[in-house]
Order: sequence, then structure tokens, then C-alpha cells
Amino acid sequence: MLNMKNTLEQLKIMIVVAVMILIGQKIGYGLSVIEAIPGIILIVIVAMLALMIKDLLPNLKFPAFAWATMIGLILSMPFMPTAKFFLEYTNKVNFLGTTTPILAFAGISVGNKIPQLKKLSWKILLIAIVVFASTYFGSAIIAQIVLKIQGII
Amino acid sequence: MSNTSNGGADSKGKIAMYAKLYLAVLLIIIVSELIGIHKINIGPGSVVLLPMLYAVIIGILITPDVLGKPFKFLRKIVTSEEVEAAGPIVLISLLPLGVKYGTLVGPNIVKIIQAGPAFLLQELGNVATPLIALPLALMLGLEREAVGATVSICREPTLGVIGGRYGMNSPEGTGVLGTYMIGTVFGTIFFGLLGSFALLTGLHPYALAMASGMGSGSMMTAAASSLAAAADPALKDTILAYAATSNMLTGVTGMYSVIFIALPLTNLYYRKLYPVFKKDKGGK
Repeated sequence: MLNMKNTLEQLKIMIVVAVMILIGQKIGYGLSVIEAIPGIILIVIVAMLALMIKDLLPNLKFPAFAWATMIGLILSMPFMPTAKFFLEYTNKVNFLGTTTPILAFAGISVGNKIPQLKKLSWKILLIAIVVFASTYFGSAIIAQIVLKIQGII
Repeated sequence: MSNTSNGGADSKGKIAMYAKLYLAVLLIIIVSELIGIHKINIGPGSVVLLPMLYAVIIGILITPDVLGKPFKFLRKIVTSEEVEAAGPIVLISLLPLGVKYGTLVGPNIVKIIQAGPAFLLQELGNVATPLIALPLALMLGLEREAVGATVSICREPTLGVIGGRYGMNSPEGTGVLGTYMIGTVFGTIFFGLLGSFALLTGLHPYALAMASGMGSGSMMTAAASSLAAAADPALKDTILAYAATSNMLTGVTGMYSVIFIALPLTNLYYRKLYPVFKKDKGGK
């Protein structure tokens, strides 16, 4: 069920993040804050929709992040009447500009895991690195073979 | 402070806490964006350093258990309360990026559907994970912990599956938590560096893009954006669109592939390998 109080809290945080994105992309990429306002408002609306859909359909186990991508995708498909309008405005919001606030919050949020991390041995660090690399290259090698067979690359 | 009533002092303290957290994050963003994008040539390849990489490193550094320890003034701004509050905000701050990915996938939807078979089959690439990492874990002397640690890249769905099957306090639970935690703290840094360097392997940027979608929004972004920044600029949009699509797909299939493929396979492999490594040790 939708909890209005919770949704309102999320909206407040979303607005703060939106302002941070505008400031960040002004500094990093020299993009105008004013010109990007309609685009960031559209993005905030879609993001809030994603959060609400996730709350309304908890059994689907589909994360809000994936819902956000899904809605953005549908609105910007070539044959959709919304595509031109939606892309024109959201293109004023820089892709990389949206990543910096996330990682800043993420960095701070893992701060309380440092003591636990220190308890782990160097062995698990080594194993984890091999796990990451083999997941990545395992998928990349299969993708390479299939894309080649399909003639895409 | 732990109760959530709206008493005057409590909500005032909460506002001050959020204000400090937002201020700290804003300062991190400003510093990171001022440093800007740097491309460093290392031997035959290049590593692309993006603002997000500095942001995660500065974020970790300013927490109370790291630089907060020697520098008292940092502990006044970022306390364990701000650290706690930052966690749930990460999930919300990811959403604008999610929408941006949608706008990259949407216009390319025809191209993506054409590459459908590659998207589906590369999901099976996860099987390579225990195949390579389990022997290493056994060699290093882990026992059942090895199953949890190497069954997959150990993001939230795997944590759920292993926790449900064995319990979080089991050896398998310890293993999965270990890989999970290292991924959480170092994952974006690792993939931010690997993403651009991986081009050296000669694998096509599109294949590497698909591989970037591992079921973690931030790791995918680190891998794919550094790849896109290092590869031919004409490929940039397709790289990001492929990565986002693959990540969405992993979001759907990830948990089931652990339950039905990766975990049974890892257990079988463990039973075959364990006696071999045990004998080696006994012989010494």
C-alpha cells in the first residue's frame, strides 16, 4: 500500500538530490541550471512514479531503479508520441552529472561497514576480486561470441 | 534519538542531521566535479577517472571510522547517524540515473531487441564465477564459506537466497556477506578502473557493455561509464544502453539463476573439489 507520509519524505529527498545534480553539472560540465529545470522536473516525476509503483506492487520484487528505467524507456521509444518532448528536456540533464551524488551518498553510507571489513581476512578480498572479474569476463566472452555469430560486431 | 516520534527536540535534531549530511554530500560533489574527468595512459591502455570515483572515495574517507578518527572536526560533521541516514538515500538518489538510462535505451530499442539472444545468453556467464573462484577459495583454506563467497557476484538477491537456505550465521552466510561487503565498499572503485582497462583484452565494447550489467546499479554505472569514456565516442550511447538493459535483465533473472543454476552447480562442484584439496593438505 502507498504510504503518503513516506512518499512525501521520498519527494523531499528527491528534490534535494535534483538540486545537487543541477549544481554538480553546472560545475563539471558548464550546463545552465535554468535550462535544465524542466528536464529535472520530468525526471523527478518519473522517479517518484517508480517509487510509488514499487510500493504498490511489492510482490513483483522489481527494484524501483528498474521501474525508473522502464518508464523512461517507454516514454522515449521512437514510436511514442512522448519521445520528442521527453528526450528534448531530459537531454539537458547530463548523464554523468546524475552519478556523482549517488556515489557520494554511497561512500558515506559504507562508513559503518569499515570495522566489519577489517575483521575479514585478506583471503576474502582476493576471492572477491576474482569473483568480480570472472563474472564480468564470463559474461563478456559469451556476449562477444553471440554478437559475432549474429553479425552485430 | 532512536524513536521516530515528532517531538520538538527530536525533529530539530533530525533536521540538523540531514542538513549536515546534505552539506557534506554537496561539498563532495563540488570537489569531485572540480577535479573533473581525467584520462591516464598506462602502458598500452588507459584508465578513465570520473567524478563519481572521487566521490565514493572521499565519501568513505570522511566517515568516523576512517579519517574521522584522527581528525576531530570531521567527527562533528559526519557522525554515525549521518552514515546510517545515507544508506536509504542512496536508493532514492539512484532513480534519476535510472530514468536517464531509460532515455538511452528507449531510442535504441530496435537495436537492443535485435541483440536479444546475446543479452539472454550472456546472463549465463555468471556460471564462470564459481568455476574459477571456488578452487581459489578452497586453495586458500576456506570450507563451506567458499560456497557462499563464490556462488555469484553476491548482490542483494544472492544474499537473500543464501540467507534463506542456510541462515546468515552459517558458514555459507559468512562467505556471501564477505563478498557482498567488499563489493559494496570497493565494487564501484574496482569496476570504475576495470571498465576502461578491459578494452585491452580485445573484447568488443558492446560485449563489455553487456557484461557491465551485473545487478548493481552503481557497479554497472562505474563499469559502463568508464568504458564509454575510454571507447570510441561514436559507440557511447549504445554502450550505456546495452549496459542498462543487461542490468535490468539481471534484476529479473538474477535471483532465479542463483537458485536454479548457480547454487546447485557450486554445491556439486564443491563436493567434487573438496576431497582433492583436503587430500593435498593431509599429505603435507
